[in-house]
Amino acid sequence: MNDAMNKDVARPEWEVKAEDQSRLAFGLAVGELAGRDPKVVAISADTIDLFGLRGFLERSPERLIEAGIAEQSAMGMAAGLATTGMRPILCGYAPFITTRSLEQLRNDVAYANQRVVIGAACGGIVLAMAGGTHHAVEDLAIMRNMPNMTVIAPADARQTWHAALATEQLDGPCYIRLGGKFAEPPVTAMDADFQIGKAEQLRPGDDITVIACGALVAPALAAAEALAASGINVRVLNMHTIKPLDTHAILAAAAETGAIVTAEEHRTTGGLGGAVAELLALEQPTPMRMVGMPDEFAIVGPTARVREHYGLSEAAIAAACRDLLK
Amino acid sequence: MTSNYAARIEALRDDALGIRRNVWRALHGAGSGHMGGSCSAADLLAALYFNHLRLRPDEPDWPERDRFVLSKGHANAALGAALARAGFIEDGVLDQFYAYQSSFGMHPDIKMPGVEMSTGGLGHGLSVAIGMALGARMQTKDFRTVVMLGDGELQEGSNWEGAMAAAQFKLANLTAILDYNKIQQSGAVAEMQDLEPLADKWRAFGWAVREIDGHDMEAIVEALDALPFATDKPSLLIAHTIKGKGVSFAEGSFLWHNNLVTDDVYEKAMSELGDGA
Ligand SMILES: Cc1ncc(C[n+]2csc(CCOP(=O)(O)OP(=O)(O)O)c2C)c(N)n1
Repeated sequence: MNDAMNKDVARPEWEVKAEDQSRLAFGLAVGELAGRDPKVVAISADTIDLFGLRGFLERSPERLIEAGIAEQSAMGMAAGLATTGMRPILCGYAPFITTRSLEQLRNDVAYANQRVVIGAACGGIVLAMAGGTHHAVEDLAIMRNMPNMTVIAPADARQTWHAALATEQLDGPCYIRLGGKFAEPPVTAMDADFQIGKAEQLRPGDDITVIACGALVAPALAAAEALAASGINVRVLNMHTIKPLDTHAILAAAAETGAIVTAEEHRTTGGLGGAVAELLALEQPTPMRMVGMPDEFAIVGPTARVREHYGLSEAAIAAACRDLLK
Repeated sequence: MTSNYAARIEALRDDALGIRRNVWRALHGAGSGHMGGSCSAADLLAALYFNHLRLRPDEPDWPERDRFVLSKGHANAALGAALARAGFIEDGVLDQFYAYQSSFGMHPDIKMPGVEMSTGGLGHGLSVAIGMALGARMQTKDFRTVVMLGDGELQEGSNWEGAMAAAQFKLANLTAILDYNKIQQSGAVAEMQDLEPLADKWRAFGWAVREIDGHDMEAIVEALDALPFATDKPSLLIAHTIKGKGVSFAEGSFLWHNNLVTDDVYEKAMSELGDGA
């Protein structure tokens, strides 16, 4: 008991306030960045509470621009602000801030290479009960195909905080995929070193490698744990940055373990699995399996149940590993 | 005023109550949902489904049917309640809100009988409805198209592209109904991106506009009976409504845009709404 309490005392304020939710960690990082740099400005598209920005709005109303439910306008304004030297951070819903404002994103932000940070809450099938209009399972594929764009899918709230702060150093646009209104299991250390573009090895292993991102990192670790009991040593790479891809870590894993499973809450086409497959096909063909969503619009249902339905789970990752090692 | 007319209005009020009760029932089953915008639209939906639209619930694909598009798709609980009451879907579907593999999710799905378009991303319905109205005209059919919009939704620029197009095409067979409850997800519309002077804007865009109290059933019926408001223009009915209408603790608050519905809250809501219907 004392131990747990001591841990609580040691936790920084942001970690406590984020409540293990990446969308809240991102909102807190917006406040932190705004405190450090007077040019940082948040843009909301009727998303204040989605990012926990109510307190920030009350403290610094002049630093939050409310675009209304108008993602295209929000994206264009972000680009315009950036051209003047401001540092806009756009807070949107993953399904809308990607496809709804896609041309503004491509032309005004990516093509013009503006320093716009996009926080995208409810990525993947977090909003499974909401239907196909609200699922974001192609966002990584779209963002990967934007030259100049950095694409990050943090594994938990802690990593989200570090990733958001790391965008300070970027010279171009960045997309950060976030979770929804429920706790995500912490899988990274509170003070883990975070470098954009550098994969994090969460577990050593030399029989097979699971490369996961976002919500699938936790089940990947659980699958590795389960397989260890049968004597299979799984290396787990948290590939939080989808672009630029850590090709070094992937090629090393391919060479050293000889088999790769990717896992993501995204269609298997064009996202993390696609990126890894493209690299390996060209550089070092390696047996692979991909855990992810099929080429169809997903069913409706509770998020956990729908994740299970599509095999976004420890069991499916473990099965893919076993299958590959047969 | 004939007693026939009075009875018709009374029946529609009952229909609206039935929709509200079933909105709460569906949300309670799911544990949460978009109560505010579903209940602000209940009277309008009752008048549409039980007095205005020409439909055949037993033949949902009847080619001559009037078309209704719920552009503010997050009010799907209210649409589902109306579709069940009209006989398009089984009543039991209302207990499947958000459920695993359900056809009745947070937003309308075109695969459900009676649903004309999958919606949920805001700002799509008006242009889709324009396409339907053009389709009627080009095939010399006399079905009418009605689209319901949210006020926060009107912040999406696509609505204004559609507003221009519908007037350009002089679509008198098209009606837009604005559920003007003055509140969006995070607060008051007027404080986030104000729409006013709204009626003047739409008139300037070339629409025939009327404003009513969207909870006054007589006014709703009278307005819908008067459609089209002009022979060569699309019609906009601005219905002034109250978000969360019907339950005192939920009325007029953005907190009830989308909220949890516990057993306790549900009991209170149902007792305030009362029986009937
Ligand atoms: C393109 C898009 N952006 C954001 C959302 C998220 N969202 C759902 S409902 C809503 C508020 C809608 O407000 P309003 O149109 O006023 O609806 P009502 O008050 O009638 O419920 C928002 C922002 C969405 N569904 N689609």
